[in-house]
Amino acid sequence: MSKRQREDADSGLPPTKRGRDAVISPLDPLSSLSDELLLHILSFLPISSLNVCQRLSRRFHALGGDSELWKRQYYSQWVRPRARRLANVTRSAPPPKTDYTPKVSTWLDHSHLAEEGKATNWKGQYRLRHNWSTGVCRVTEVELPQPPSPPVLVELCAGVVFTADTSHGLRAWGAKDPTSCLAEIPLSNQPKMATVRPTALAVSQLDNEQEIVVGFDDGRFNRYIFDIQTSRLGLQSAHVGFKDGAITAMALSSPYLLMVSQYKSLSLYNLRALSQESENAGEAKYPRKLASLNAANMVAPMTLSLRPSSLEIVATIVYSFFRIGCGWSLGIQELRFSKDGQQLESRLASTVDSQYGIVPLRGWSSSRIRRHSIGIEDIEGPSSAAPATPSIAHQQPPTSMSYSHPYLLTSHADNTLTMYLVVSDSRSLFVRGGQRLWGHTSSVSAVQVTNRGKAVSVSSRGDEIRIWELETAVRSLGSRRPLREENSIQVSPENKSQEDSGLGVAPRGLRRGVSDSGLATGAPRDLSLIHGCVGFDEERVLLLREKTVGTQLLECYDFT
Amino acid sequence: MSTQITLTSSDGVDVSVDRAVAERSVLIKNMLEDLGDSGEAIPIPNVSNRPFPCLGCVYYVRTSSPPSKSNGDDDDNRRKTTDIDEWDQKFMQVDQEMLFEIILAANYLDIKALLDVGCKTVANMIKGKSPEEIRKTFNIQNDFTPEEEDQIRRENEWAEE
Repeated sequence: MSKRQREDADSGLPPTKRGRDAVISPLDPLSSLSDELLLHILSFLPISSLNVCQRLSRRFHALGGDSELWKRQYYSQWVRPRARRLANVTRSAPPPKTDYTPKVSTWLDHSHLAEEGKATNWKGQYRLRHNWSTGVCRVTEVELPQPPSPPVLVELCAGVVFTADTSHGLRAWGAKDPTSCLAEIPLSNQPKMATVRPTALAVSQLDNEQEIVVGFDDGRFNRYIFDIQTSRLGLQSAHVGFKDGAITAMALSSPYLLMVSQYKSLSLYNLRALSQESENAGEAKYPRKLASLNAANMVAPMTLSLRPSSLEIVATIVYSFFRIGCGWSLGIQELRFSKDGQQLESRLASTVDSQYGIVPLRGWSSSRIRRHSIGIEDIEGPSSAAPATPSIAHQQPPTSMSYSHPYLLTSHADNTLTMYLVVSDSRSLFVRGGQRLWGHTSSVSAVQVTNRGKAVSVSSRGDEIRIWELETAVRSLGSRRPLREENSIQVSPENKSQEDSGLGVAPRGLRRGVSDSGLATGAPRDLSLIHGCVGFDEERVLLLREKTVGTQLLECYDFT
Repeated sequence: MSTQITLTSSDGVDVSVDRAVAERSVLIKNMLEDLGDSGEAIPIPNVSNRPFPCLGCVYYVRTSSPPSKSNGDDDDNRRKTTDIDEWDQKFMQVDQEMLFEIILAANYLDIKALLDVGCKTVANMIKGKSPEEIRKTFNIQNDFTPEEEDQIRRENEWAEE
């Protein structure tokens, strides 16, 4: 049946439609449509065409950048596949669905965008995600003059970079333009403390300001506030934390501060209790020490984590120890405090069982782990029986570790990362499954993970940075299939091509030359080159690099 | 309840259609609900001064299959594809002016399926083309200065792969 005949029969008009082509109205037919209709048309286009449309005219530029349009694209590209994936996992998982809680609460990682009530630039967000997923970014380098020793401490928090060192004190840099220093404050205004060295730095985001705590090698710590609006740093208070030794690690989650000294004492403070008390107490400004503990056998590297909830504060110390038979393992001590510092519970878990492939009783039915280190591929007995050799065995301590509940990641000199999933609920604390993550082609020296499962790892020479999306890896923890799919992407700064890094800026060329010729001389030398992945936020990765000559370089990888 | 109702387009052409068909247009459905069934002809003044778009819409809903049940997730999938089935494609083989009139009519009459087909047809005309080709296709005026155009090109380079 021909439609045209039917039309003509209905309307009785001769088929003269072609003839009208010649008549071109002053306004082209497409532009005569309302914005609403044009948006409807644009909603059928892929993003590449949207970008092309933006180049057509001013009107299309505005329409093609429409936030709702991009929000839809963002959801269909990033959010919905994820939701679907998680839905599948929950469906295929054995009955105890409650086991899956750590993920369910975090899958919606756009909530911070939707909730804040401000207009979100969804095109920008899409582009950000796109760049993260492809590893495209721009890198900016900031040289920190005069190599101080110990190395500069660096923290990145909500777009502001904080550095602390002996000679320049505490400084704040805008991560958007890290070449200019926003604010600077000496670490001490008392001459007698001029030689004090900062040993730990922690930052926490407050409403309109950021709280910074700097720990020193004499056990003291200072509390600073950085005002975001005025870009000013101010010293709030100075305290004595430990009388015996340097503060080696801190975790800050305002108003709670957790710190560990050189001699393994642990203290938990409530910094906010300080401000209330100080009103009355006048001069004596001491934060309330909630709890203090001693630990005997923790071995570095270790990491601290603090998770305040509405009812309690969960302080977690993850440390590494050597266990005969399965090499370096991780111990997790979780301390639960009530808000006033009463210790409610202390629980211990270790990764030893996971390393042997033993599944915790309450875990999933199987967590087969990809065998790796000595090439043992043949021990594939029933999953209930423990293999004689651990499937994850590290003969060297991890080069770094990062814990952000529920993810626990360690990096190793053998080019891999190991991921564990920590399960902590009201009844128990255990580690569910271990997973080796492959992708790096050289020794990995630093790793950082967020509770959303995004991780950034750096090779020891700093020439390979990888971004990991660990949710897919979590899925394979529960299944029998080993992780095969690619779940990391290498960062490739677009403004620094391979040629550039070879002969461009002197420090880079120099370093590369050294490492290329001295490959055999091995790790110790290389390790000194990367001080550590100092962190990343939604938009950037920050890296502290130590050049061969000794100066330090701050590198900011911007994904926007 | 009568099964036949009469629609009158702005130029006075009467069309008699099944009520079920007419109700595929949300506009007409609402009108029928508001007015009750008086048996009088329903005027559709706004569509066009030419009968085809109006009649085309009627023709479309009369002959195309009724819409499948859709929900939110479907809506998203629907947008992912600009595939148009063959019948719809043939229906849309009209000149540009007519195509846009159909879109306007479908929009006015609130016939979602037809609106989508029309918009998809336009989207397909845009897809895969360079800006210059699109401008030529639709006779769009380029009101950017060369500098602006260059800047926007650079801004949007990232997704062209």
